[in-house]
Amino acid sequence: MIILKQWRLWVSLLLLIVSYIFIKPNFESQTSDSKINFGLDIQGGFSYLLELNEEEYLNNLLVKTSQYIENTYSISSDIDNGEIVISKNQNLDALTNIVIQNLGLEINEKSDKENSYIFSKQSFNKSLSDMTLNAVEIVRSRVDFLGNKELSIQKVGLNKILLEIPGDLDNNVKEVISKTAKLTLHLEKNNIVGSKTFINEETGEQVRVQEIPNITGDFIQDASLQYNQNEPVVAFSFNKEGSDLFAKMTSENVGSRFAIVLDGSLITAPVIRESITGGSGQISGGFTNETANNLAIILKSGSLPTQIKIIQEKQIGPTLGQEGVEKGVIASIIALIAITLFMIIYYKISGFFTVITIISCLSLLFAMMSLLNTTLTLPGVIGIVLTIGMCVDANVLIFERIRENFKHNIEDPKNHGFNSAYVTILDSNLTTLFAAIFLFAFGFGPIRGFSISLIIGIISSLIVTYIILKLFINITSIKYLGLQR
Amino acid sequence: MINFYSFKNKSYLVSLTLIILTIIIIFFKGLNLGIDFKGGLNFEVKSNLTTNQLNEYFNFIESDREVLIKREVGSDVFSIRIESGDNNPVFIEEIKNIIDQNPDIEILLSEYIEPTFSEELIKNSIYALASSLLVIAVYVWIRFDWQFAASGIFALLHDVFVAIGFMSLFNIEFNLTMIAALLLIAGYSINDTIVLFDRLRSLTSNEENKDNFETNVNNSIKLNLRRTILTSFTTILALLCLVFLAPVNLTEMPIVFIFGVLIGTFSSLFLVLGIVGDLNYEAVLKARDS
Repeated sequence: MIILKQWRLWVSLLLLIVSYIFIKPNFESQTSDSKINFGLDIQGGFSYLLELNEEEYLNNLLVKTSQYIENTYSISSDIDNGEIVISKNQNLDALTNIVIQNLGLEINEKSDKENSYIFSKQSFNKSLSDMTLNAVEIVRSRVDFLGNKELSIQKVGLNKILLEIPGDLDNNVKEVISKTAKLTLHLEKNNIVGSKTFINEETGEQVRVQEIPNITGDFIQDASLQYNQNEPVVAFSFNKEGSDLFAKMTSENVGSRFAIVLDGSLITAPVIRESITGGSGQISGGFTNETANNLAIILKSGSLPTQIKIIQEKQIGPTLGQEGVEKGVIASIIALIAITLFMIIYYKISGFFTVITIISCLSLLFAMMSLLNTTLTLPGVIGIVLTIGMCVDANVLIFERIRENFKHNIEDPKNHGFNSAYVTILDSNLTTLFAAIFLFAFGFGPIRGFSISLIIGIISSLIVTYIILKLFINITSIKYLGLQR
Repeated sequence: MINFYSFKNKSYLVSLTLIILTIIIIFFKGLNLGIDFKGGLNFEVKSNLTTNQLNEYFNFIESDREVLIKREVGSDVFSIRIESGDNNPVFIEEIKNIIDQNPDIEILLSEYIEPTFSEELIKNSIYALASSLLVIAVYVWIRFDWQFAASGIFALLHDVFVAIGFMSLFNIEFNLTMIAALLLIAGYSINDTIVLFDRLRSLTSNEENKDNFETNVNNSIKLNLRRTILTSFTTILALLCLVFLAPVNLTEMPIVFIFGVLIGTFSSLFLVLGIVGDLNYEAVLKARDS
């Protein structure tokens, strides 16, 4: 049996088994990390692209760094237009190059001021990126608390977060993700210097308090929706450090008011009646169940490092996605049938081999997509259709070469034809492959979905043509290939 | 036998005309930029109302935001594009709430993009396009001679550019999906071109008949003609299925691609090898001999 000596036979069988193993989880109900996910454009759902404010973060970082230099090295500095300017006439010995470097600073070459520093691009980007990762976790926990389980959330670029929620949307999501949730407690202060007036936008109540907060929401450990005389309120508790601060503040200021401020606007300004040592408190003031619950969620997930802006929002209804899939699948099947019929009529037996090659190519493609846990989108489906096209093209190139060799009586027309055609196929497919890889690296959204299936598709097509198609060509006598004319 | 090489001057003329036409069309008609590149709101709705009725209905939107309503070809689906303005996140919710109360209109898709982000997307797409074109050029240059790289890249840019003209002419929306379509065309074009290059290279390195460049060019095309036609045919066959069956908001992509396949077939049959010849590739071959 000559066929058993073909190494390609064994590799083909191996490919088949491996593909089967990897595709199988897609048809099982339990969740698995190696499954093809469907993009929102297919299954319907919501996506939000959130952007953290880079400028605000830069300012925060400048203030923090300047304070750190002051506290650690007793060197005072000013912040001016994105740079830290170290004041003259001080002993700067402590500020060695290594210290500066560790702070991520570098001398601002463009500044006309002396001792002016900016963050090096590299260190700022790193810091920005870390901040975003942190914000990803905060946003995740906020949406989790609302009870959305299948969400996908990832960092995009340096300061963006892509949040995707399949299925129906809880209307509170938008509200909950876009709040910075900076909660601060300020004691009343009637002096103009160092004070600030906060206003409650709904009731118009205002109070003048000291500008620097006495306690911040960073100390909050837990928060929940509770009821006080049937009114929904937000109950919160501080951690140990926060409890101590809160106890100190309340015991020293019995009789005066303090303001609870959320994202710059006053929520309520109660009078301190007695010292509060338990480390817990309540915020009341015209909440509904929903708003109180939302506030509790954002308080316990922590505040976001900067303001967040929804720069892209997409809601795809289930009908559009379903219709898309149904039509897309029907279109692909009809296209596949049309192509295979054409190939069989035109190339006879060889055309039949093309059909087998296409089917193997598709199963290898889906196996790799499952293994890599790829998200399949509609542009991705178009990428797959293109892959089938390239696979057919490879077959045509090979058959035409063999036919030509046969006509010119070239020795060993099958091998010679296959090999010379395969060089051409490699050249043309590799160019497309490299282009697709760069497209994937730089692209966004639909471009990525398209390029990932193209990348995987080209690789599968190259493999199956080299192994499975060649196997069939090898084991079939040229007389039966249907190529001589 | 057809002497493809002798057509090259006429082909240049055709190609030049196409390029000039494209420039004129784009200059006068502009590109129909989608919200991906312009920012703003977009709704896809299903409705049994007419375009006029919908236009009237959406009159409630203040005049400072431009509203564009277009029926998707052969369906009861409309695309409604609303210009970006202040506080889009709140605005989109208001519009959604208003539409939800109308039983005649069903929202299939709603989205908005901030103009700041769409600027980033433009930049991003240009990087993606430019870098992949550069990679193609470098690869062809490494594998072949520079004349091939130059000619291949010219054909590819030519095909993509004329396809953009086609989109402008038929007012097809230019969005991120279309960038993918343009890259498909680029990929198809270079694919076709490389197959011919490979043939020409192997023919010119053949001792017996390497001297007659014109015959070699014609042979390269002739020997690949059947493949070129078969591949274009099967690709168009597959794409036609997509045109008639793709979801309404995706039908335009295969149409643009079909045009790209046609223009790509033209450029690979009539343009690329002519350009290689005119870049004095013969001299390179002769120099290699001596």
